Amino acid sequence: MAEPLVLGIETSCDETGVALVRGNELLVDAVASSMEEHARYGGIIPEVASRAHLEAMIPTIQKALGDADVDLSEIDAVAVTAGPGLVGPLTIGASAAKALSIGLNKPLYGVNHVIGHACVDQLVDGPLPERAMALVVSGGHSSLLMVDDIATDVTELGSTLDDAAGEAFDKVGRLLGLPYPGGPHVDRLAREGDPTAIRFPRGLTAAKDQAKHAYDFSFSGLKTAVARWVEARTDAGQAIPVHDVAASFAEAVADVLTAKTIAACHKHGVDTLVIGGGFSANSQLREMAAKRCAEAGIDLRIPPIRYCTDNGAMIAALGSAVVRAGVAPSSLDIPVDSSMPLTTITV
Amino acid sequence: MSGATGEQGDITTSEVVTLELPDAEATRALGAALAGELRAGDLVILTGDLGAGKTTLTQGIGATLRVRGQVASPTFIVAREHPPLPRADGTSGPGLVHVDAYRLGGLSELDALDLDSSLADTVTVVEWGRGLAEALADDRLEIDLERPRGAPSFDPGAAMEEDPEAGTRTATIRAVGQRWAGIDLGALLG
Repeated sequence: MAEPLVLGIETSCDETGVALVRGNELLVDAVASSMEEHARYGGIIPEVASRAHLEAMIPTIQKALGDADVDLSEIDAVAVTAGPGLVGPLTIGASAAKALSIGLNKPLYGVNHVIGHACVDQLVDGPLPERAMALVVSGGHSSLLMVDDIATDVTELGSTLDDAAGEAFDKVGRLLGLPYPGGPHVDRLAREGDPTAIRFPRGLTAAKDQAKHAYDFSFSGLKTAVARWVEARTDAGQAIPVHDVAASFAEAVADVLTAKTIAACHKHGVDTLVIGGGFSANSQLREMAAKRCAEAGIDLRIPPIRYCTDNGAMIAALGSAVVRAGVAPSSLDIPVDSSMPLTTITV
Repeated sequence: MSGATGEQGDITTSEVVTLELPDAEATRALGAALAGELRAGDLVILTGDLGAGKTTLTQGIGATLRVRGQVASPTFIVAREHPPLPRADGTSGPGLVHVDAYRLGGLSELDALDLDSSLADTVTVVEWGRGLAEALADDRLEIDLERPRGAPSFDPGAAMEEDPEAGTRTATIRAVGQRWAGIDLGALLG
């Protein structure tokens, strides 16, 4: 018998994503983004995002179905992001999913966005091994997850205590006078700079932090260090070597992310690492992770960037995994949860 | 009521309190002490440069209020809601709404934030809110955080290994509105 066909809907932030997955096979992945509208405001405005989702929802569903040549009646289950994310956008996705579930009389699965970022790798690299590590890094998240079963058993080993990695990049972009979102600009500058020019601090890596925060991240102090370094140079009447500042900053972020993640792999006897989330596009993170994983004998899996940013495929993939694992469907009155804990895979 | 025009409802009702915060722990402790006085419906406006300790202070508030989730930077999602955790006696206090207004053009309508929580039921902390968030409430605490400018030991081109959070912050706290009348912040925080 064919595996169930799962429709996934993602609306946690500014991308409206709709995808169809059967087993670990992606049939279609349609995305509408309101990023350009947000760039005008210099950031994501929740109300603007909500309105954009509302406008994009039905066209995006229709596009996905049309491109895959699938009729709604063929769908076996509907998966939707239940959190974490922005309440308004999440509510729009959940409402659409509930309507489809009722209309089609098919089960609904409310799933976790962050765990979806790890699960999407199964569509690209095949099933995850029995135990894998997942580093999910984006503008809104920086979390280290131990995945014993993507559908039923995920442990949060650590998360950022202050700024997410991508957010720290955006703030350093702001400090360097770059347009929003600053992250990709900082990455671009960093590629032409000397990553050893300035030794910026590595947050939560001191011996005293090992007991409580071995796998937590902190990028706020690093951001402050960059700000103060730039101020000192400015006050001294000297030019800011933006390429070297960007490269040294990016080096500090990549160093901490990879060092802690690989330490966690060793500690828990894990030999597969998935990196997901939009920040996995970062050049220095990719390079350093590849190098350090090769040295450590860890199999590194980073999906192509279009699956690392927010998309429907990640939600359909996780929906497919939970359906196949026999997890009970969600009730039709599930609430969305803007701060959904990362150990909650389905609601 | 908007703007600091000195009209009714925009009256400083306690003496301005200035505190020295030698490290991040002291900033967190200030938040924790303030939270002991905060109740549902209160508004706190935080002002200060990147790295001044706005989120650190809010972490202290969250710890005392006992709310769910890590109090981290709300910059990316603009506003983060922390529902209250039940206390040992089964009751619960106010939740926390933590807002970064840096990118917002105006906050005359909090509807733009699309929040689940009603501000009347939560403590609302707005970072980068000066000039925007005053319109939300006649009663509020305004806290300015100032950090030292420049690197602790600046040597052009050299390494920077020192703790970037080092250096004493200065907090200036101003209570506005009838809510704070007769409350001696200096004594509470001293």
